[in-house]
Amino acid sequence: MSRFFATGSDSESEESSSADEITPKAPGTTFKQSLLLSDDEEDTKRVVRSAKDKRFEELTNLIKTIRNAMKIRDMAKCLEEFEQLCRAFLKSKTIVDKEGVPPFYIRLLADLEDYLNQLWEDKEGKKKMNKNNAKALSTLRQKIRKYNRDYETEIAAYKENPQESADEEEEKEPEESGSSSESEGEAGDEGVTAKVFLKKKPAAEATSEASKFLKSAKGSGDESSSSDEDDDDGEWGSDTVGSGSESSDDGEGKSASLAVVFLKKAQEGEKTSEKKKDVRKKRHKKKERLEEEAEEEGGEEAEGGWEKVKGGVPLVKEKPKMFAKGTEINTAVVVKKLNEILQARGKKGTDRAAQIELLHALAAISQENNLGQGILVKIKFNIIASLYDYNPNLAAFMKADMWKKCLDCIDELLDILFDNNNIFIGENIAEDSENLGISDQPFRVRGCILTLVERMDEEFTKIMQNTDPHSQEYVDNLKDEGRVCGIIDRLLSYLETKGSTEEICRIYLRRILHTYYKFDYKAHRRSLGLQGETKSEQDQEESEGEDSAVIMDRLCKFIYAKDRTDRIRTCAILCHIYHHALHSRWYQARDLMLMSHLQDNIQHADPPVQILYNRTMVQLGICAFRQGMIKDAHNALLDIQSSGRAKELLGQGLLMRNMQERNAEQEKIEKRRQVPFHMHINLELLECVYLVSAMLLEIPYMAAHEFDARRRMISKQFHHQLRVGERQPLLGPPESMREHVVAASKAMKMGDWRTCHSFIINEKMNSKVWDLFPETQRVREMLVRKIQEESLRTYLFTYSSVYDSISMETLSEMFELELPTVHSIISKMIINEELMASLDQPTQTVVMHRTEPTSLQNMALQLAEKLGGLVENNERVFDLKQGVYGGYFNRDQKGGYQQKQGYQRDQKGGYQQKQGGYQRGGYRNQNQSNY
Amino acid sequence: MASRKESGSTLSAGMSSSGGTLDSPVKQIQIEGLVVLKIIKHYQEEGQGSEVVQGVLLGLVVEDRLEITNCFPFPQHTEDDADFDEVQYQMEMMRSLRHVNIDHLHVGWYQSTYYGSFVSRALLDSQFSYQHAIEESVVLIYDPIKTAQGSLSLKAYRLTPKLMEICKEKDFTPEGLKKANIGFEHMFEEVPIVIKNSHLISVLMWELEDKSTVADKHELLNLSSSNHLEKSLQLLMDRVDDMSQDIVKYNTYSRNLSKQQQQKHQYLQRRQQENAQRQSRGEPPLPEEDITKMFKPPQPPPRMDTLLIAGQINNYCQNVKEFTSQTLGKLFMAEALQGHNN
Repeated sequence: MSRFFATGSDSESEESSSADEITPKAPGTTFKQSLLLSDDEEDTKRVVRSAKDKRFEELTNLIKTIRNAMKIRDMAKCLEEFEQLCRAFLKSKTIVDKEGVPPFYIRLLADLEDYLNQLWEDKEGKKKMNKNNAKALSTLRQKIRKYNRDYETEIAAYKENPQESADEEEEKEPEESGSSSESEGEAGDEGVTAKVFLKKKPAAEATSEASKFLKSAKGSGDESSSSDEDDDDGEWGSDTVGSGSESSDDGEGKSASLAVVFLKKAQEGEKTSEKKKDVRKKRHKKKERLEEEAEEEGGEEAEGGWEKVKGGVPLVKEKPKMFAKGTEINTAVVVKKLNEILQARGKKGTDRAAQIELLHALAAISQENNLGQGILVKIKFNIIASLYDYNPNLAAFMKADMWKKCLDCIDELLDILFDNNNIFIGENIAEDSENLGISDQPFRVRGCILTLVERMDEEFTKIMQNTDPHSQEYVDNLKDEGRVCGIIDRLLSYLETKGSTEEICRIYLRRILHTYYKFDYKAHRRSLGLQGETKSEQDQEESEGEDSAVIMDRLCKFIYAKDRTDRIRTCAILCHIYHHALHSRWYQARDLMLMSHLQDNIQHADPPVQILYNRTMVQLGICAFRQGMIKDAHNALLDIQSSGRAKELLGQGLLMRNMQERNAEQEKIEKRRQVPFHMHINLELLECVYLVSAMLLEIPYMAAHEFDARRRMISKQFHHQLRVGERQPLLGPPESMREHVVAASKAMKMGDWRTCHSFIINEKMNSKVWDLFPETQRVREMLVRKIQEESLRTYLFTYSSVYDSISMETLSEMFELELPTVHSIISKMIINEELMASLDQPTQTVVMHRTEPTSLQNMALQLAEKLGGLVENNERVFDLKQGVYGGYFNRDQKGGYQQKQGYQRDQKGGYQQKQGGYQRGGYRNQNQSNY
Repeated sequence: MASRKESGSTLSAGMSSSGGTLDSPVKQIQIEGLVVLKIIKHYQEEGQGSEVVQGVLLGLVVEDRLEITNCFPFPQHTEDDADFDEVQYQMEMMRSLRHVNIDHLHVGWYQSTYYGSFVSRALLDSQFSYQHAIEESVVLIYDPIKTAQGSLSLKAYRLTPKLMEICKEKDFTPEGLKKANIGFEHMFEEVPIVIKNSHLISVLMWELEDKSTVADKHELLNLSSSNHLEKSLQLLMDRVDDMSQDIVKYNTYSRNLSKQQQQKHQYLQRRQQENAQRQSRGEPPLPEEDITKMFKPPQPPPRMDTLLIAGQINNYCQNVKEFTSQTLGKLFMAEALQGHNN
């Protein structure tokens, strides 16, 4: 008699399945388990059981949902769950292998198959089903058929004797609940008594019909029992296995097992007193065990108060007591404690904030007890390390208060180090060779202050990267840079006396990285011969000490000489060049760049160094521009500007790109490479400098090669801007920087330098671009001069065909240049064969020679060239036709074919050489005669 | 004015002899002076620079002669009347003309041109649709620039039957064109034009000619050449560039094609060998796979545009040749005059 079939009540069958989770176990093992009393063994047993339980619980949960779905005829859900179940079952294969296929699983399979078959037969019902469900039904039916084939014997056995298997389970069930509700420390005979009860149980089952009436009564009983256990649970935490099965039953509420409750009641009725005792005993035991566990985890001595702090992480709210009262606090104890605290570091449940607190407290204690600087230094090291650890994510940045704390800590640490000359710190001092106690020997502490400071510097960069550059917050954060520099400076002076060269190189580089991008206004003013206007400024100047140039020079040269890692030297060189360029020392910067040969192999460097390189090149270009070396400026900026990705190349922002080119991971990495805002190079200035230099180069070149078909573009980007300007349907006065440059270029094309000048240098452009230079006035003068010269050249190129001769005086008036300059420019043009003219000395005039072809002739030449290309292309088509046949079918003739190709190539060369006016027939004849 | 007209008619008469072998239903076109003047006026008023004006020709077919007796212009397209219905407009016009008892049969269309650049896809398409609907349709090309230089340039074109075939099939692949055996020379046929005036008008002309001053005639020796030549060269160059590009495209295509053919061949050979081996071992041969699926032939470039470009280039060359020969003639004439005066 099976309760599943007899009652047909779903709630019951479900319940049983949920109760099943603990049942499938050979009775023998259960018996054995109940005999194993010692705590250790109990623990190991617990592990095994929990793994199994977890799997089986998963299975039973799935089974429960399947049964639910069956009840409401939701085939789709059923199918989905069944698939999950199969997967889950597969997962728990190891356990199944050990334990045998759990009967509840077989039961479900059998039931499900029956159920499906039943549904399948029911044509009426099937018609009513919606399409989805019907589909799921057929799939599921097929699936389960196939699946059940593997378990045929088991299912057959079950079907044959459903009662037995059900009994078997029930047999175990009360056993379980018995063993769980009672303490694990139950004696063997108690297990027997439990079995006695279950003998009675089937009888109780028989009256299941009647038991329904008893529901309310049992409910109350249920409640009472659950309330009984509830306080147990409260004490134990929810994870104890024994009560787990029970509490899940209780949680079921209405669907709680009638049988079990009934059973339980019977049990309770008989041995409430016994149980109560047990419970109490158990409670005590549990507590002890918990404590022990905590001890094990913490790995510390048995000091009750302390354990609580460690074990129950969420519980620690009261001020942790470091040491038990009366303990003598000495170095060894403190070190031990420190190690204890550190052991928790990096573990999952550790509260990092609390850890920092603890370390601080420890530091205070050690200070209180005068344990000496050694231990203090060690603790400080660890505090800082924990501060860095606070953020688990590399991308996240420190909170402001953490940052302040960190700075303070490092400052203090440095104070100590400066005050006490006898502390040795180093990474390579082994933990056991440390000397922390007060003794005659100098302190030896493991730890590296340099790493900490470097990390601090990186954190600072990170903070700056993550702050909105246009907020007050950024300015506030930036104020900390002074402190950072101060710390670096202090460490620098400390390491200069104590550190190795390698360390000195590293800290020097840090110093350089904080110096190279800052313009030294003081030195600049001094070099201009201006004194500080007010006294206070003068004072400041004096306190400032040496120029940044001198510092850079000293630090960099040290690195050049002493550094052994390539990277530091490369960075130092780049920074040095940058600094030179920033202060307009063009020749030094250029020489350094050329001598270092960085341009050859920079593409092998890592991205941050490449970004630095790009920044340096840009700065170099801008410097060249300020010095009036337009060509150099253009060349330096070409690489960066032509790509159109200046922003990205300089690490000053990410370009919008689709996700194909960059996934989220890469984006994060790129974000980390960004240069903080205060170090940015103004991109508009950069572009303007580039465009203006391109204009000064390109416009005369265009004028000179107007008819040259094969004229190359000097600057693609500039041409692009010009085209954009041309496409504008309505030309208003220029607004943006680019429009200004385009308008100026147009004016220059006509040789109108005045208009060009007014477009390049006006208030708008001043405020946008030119005022950003330190020597604004000088740059502007240079620019005007350049514009005049290049306009003159353009004018001569463009309009020389109109003149027979032109007086240099007129030209000098037109372009407001001195006569010698005009003379030199024209002479240069004549020498370079750009201008077909000669100078007539007595009259100071330029006489044009008119050897240039007319525009019609030029056009004809161009056409001829193009036709040459056309013929060439056409013959290539012909080649191919011949090649296919010649090469494929008659291999023997290949030689001949190749010769023919050679001949054709000759001919092509001939075309190109002559460029026009050739006679095709003539060439062919000539060539043919060679054969 | 009269002299121009006459020269135009003589010019076309000269041409009629060259294009005599036509098998189309239209062997000759007779245009009323009215139509010519209307076209000229239309351009003068509406077209400037490279803009093109178009209109509809009306008339009737008499035996193998197409008589064009009237025309009306299409209004210039502007941005703001996008919903303007051209067909509707034509119908209206034709109906109105019928009401006043004017020939209202649609026999073609006219178009102005800029330095002889009219051989384009658009012209081909619309002439095709005309000729498809009304077999006798022609397109009149009016060149205002040449006309302004002293010789009325008005030419009538029709698509050759061959081209009609191709356009009907819409097969512009290299193979299709090869099969049709069509070159740029055989795309359009020019139909000789005769300008006919009523006797009354002829009489008026003679009278006017008598009254006109002699000075006008000397302008014929004017050599305002360079600008025209430059423009022509410029346009010619653009076309040559296009042509080059097309050739490169075609070149790539044929290279890809031959490469693929080779692969295909190799594959087939390999398959054959394998099958032979299998057969010797007594195994069944490998199943036939769809080779066309494995080797998708590359997309052939449409060649019609290339043909049109070639036609256009040819046209430019003719123009330049004509122009230069005229100019040379003028130079010789001027030399002779010089010698005579001396």
